[in-house]
Amino acid sequence: MVRYAVGAFGVLLIAIGGRLLWTGGELSEVAVWLAGAIVLHDGLIAPFVLTVGLLVASVPARGLVRGALIVAAALTAIALPPMLAPVRRNPSVLPLDYPRNWLLAMAAIAVVTALVLTARALRGRRPRRPSWLRTPRLRRGQ
Amino acid sequence: MVEDMRTPRLPWPPRFRLPKPSLHMPSLRLPSVKLPRPRLPKPRLPKPPLPEFKGRLHDPRTATVIGRWLGVLIALCFLTGFLSHYVQRPPDWLAGVLPSRPVWGYRLTQGIHVASGIAAIPLLFAKLWTVYPRLFVWPPVSSVRHALERLSIAVLVAATVFQLLTGLLNIIQWYPWPFSFVPVHFAVAWVVFGSLVLHIAVKYPEIKAHWSRQSPGTLELLAADGPDRRSLLMGVSAAVGAVTVTTVGQTVTPLKSLILFAPRDPDYGEQGLPVNRSAAQAGMVGRDLSGYRLTVLGRDSYELTLDELAAMAQHTVRLPIACVEGWSKYATWSGVRMRDLVARAGGRPDSLVRVVSMERRGAYRVMEMGGGYTEDPLTLLALRLNGQVLSLDHGFPARVIAPNRPGVWQTKWVARMEII
Repeated sequence: MVRYAVGAFGVLLIAIGGRLLWTGGELSEVAVWLAGAIVLHDGLIAPFVLTVGLLVASVPARGLVRGALIVAAALTAIALPPMLAPVRRNPSVLPLDYPRNWLLAMAAIAVVTALVLTARALRGRRPRRPSWLRTPRLRRGQ
Repeated sequence: MVEDMRTPRLPWPPRFRLPKPSLHMPSLRLPSVKLPRPRLPKPRLPKPPLPEFKGRLHDPRTATVIGRWLGVLIALCFLTGFLSHYVQRPPDWLAGVLPSRPVWGYRLTQGIHVASGIAAIPLLFAKLWTVYPRLFVWPPVSSVRHALERLSIAVLVAATVFQLLTGLLNIIQWYPWPFSFVPVHFAVAWVVFGSLVLHIAVKYPEIKAHWSRQSPGTLELLAADGPDRRSLLMGVSAAVGAVTVTTVGQTVTPLKSLILFAPRDPDYGEQGLPVNRSAAQAGMVGRDLSGYRLTVLGRDSYELTLDELAAMAQHTVRLPIACVEGWSKYATWSGVRMRDLVARAGGRPDSLVRVVSMERRGAYRVMEMGGGYTEDPLTLLALRLNGQVLSLDHGFPARVIAPNRPGVWQTKWVARMEII
């Protein structure tokens, strides 16, 4: 019952948003961009990410490489708009050298990943969970 | 091993679970597990060649763990955005009672608004990756209920991707779309939050069954996926940390040396303060301001030259400029108290004041200030910024600065004040 009430509340909130869009008079333009959001994600971004995941699946230390790629992808996602934006009239918007910063960030991720891989290789161990994440083991017979 | 299997299952099972085989295998690749397929009634449509997903972690436990963080961030983003909307455009009953304290209130809430939106980006991608195979279920619709559920998911995905994308572009003031940003971002926010609430209600049994590592649904999943899932979640957490640390310094000024991708640098801008709308954008460049007069309309209307304004009692305050676009910075402002100007025209100290800018166009040219701001001793008609006369970009000859207010209502190039 509570579930249905919460669900109905959600529908009400959607209806408020829908009504605001309807009375705003720009519904068709917004609808194109909303549909475009799905096409952009489900048609382009997700297949690309899954393909990369397929390629990464067989590399050694897959977890670490995957983590590095996730961080790199997230930083690229927020760095792209400043890099692609048209030139501003207001100099205090986008004052930084974003392409340089992006390259720096990618290099930093590569270096950190390589260092962790080297450290693991030197210890002669396969990647494993750090001790603070492991469940304490209960001895038999106690 | 054999002993383990004979051990009776205890109410706290994790300590007695079998050693995880994947940890000791030479390759981390996991064998694909064939699950028995339930016999379905003969489908009416032949199944088209849909993609098949053999990869791991597209499971409800992963979706639950990522989803609850994403849900918290979306809720924070919605509430802070909602607040900003009503502070910027208050209905009449609210305008008079908006508080001018804490002075950093708007700065905090809008810093959270933009930071939570940015942090939600990696989580949204991760969440959608987890559930992506469900896009290709066959048959695409099996009942009315299923159709409605899929429709609500489509609304949730479209609105959330749309919202984060438009927000991300708004903070760099890039508007490549044909609609106006503010009303549409506000309307879609309702759709995002509403469809999130609906989604939680629909998925409640699955969320509950996978809430913790020991929940019944989680225990039914392949135990060997546990370490892999934690590794994925660590990667996603690192991404959330990375996007936050490289942008949040635009408002959390102690972290400003780490801003690689923030749209603003708190130190970059005339007189040490960023400018949201420059004099050029407002059409203020090249205007002759030598004959400037401030007009104050009230019971005893009067006009003041800039020298006469500077001859009135001057006060110095430290207040932040805080923008809804998620940047903010404290500065030192000097000028005349708003309530002194109001009193000189015979107005009550908590009068509603309408302030009109000299700029010729712009949605924020005319500003109304509720009594809570007018009577606050920190609210100034500022003439100086950080010890210097205001630059044209910062609103020369005179601008409003008030505590706990959106930057767009810190009206620049003030021409006229009307006491209502």
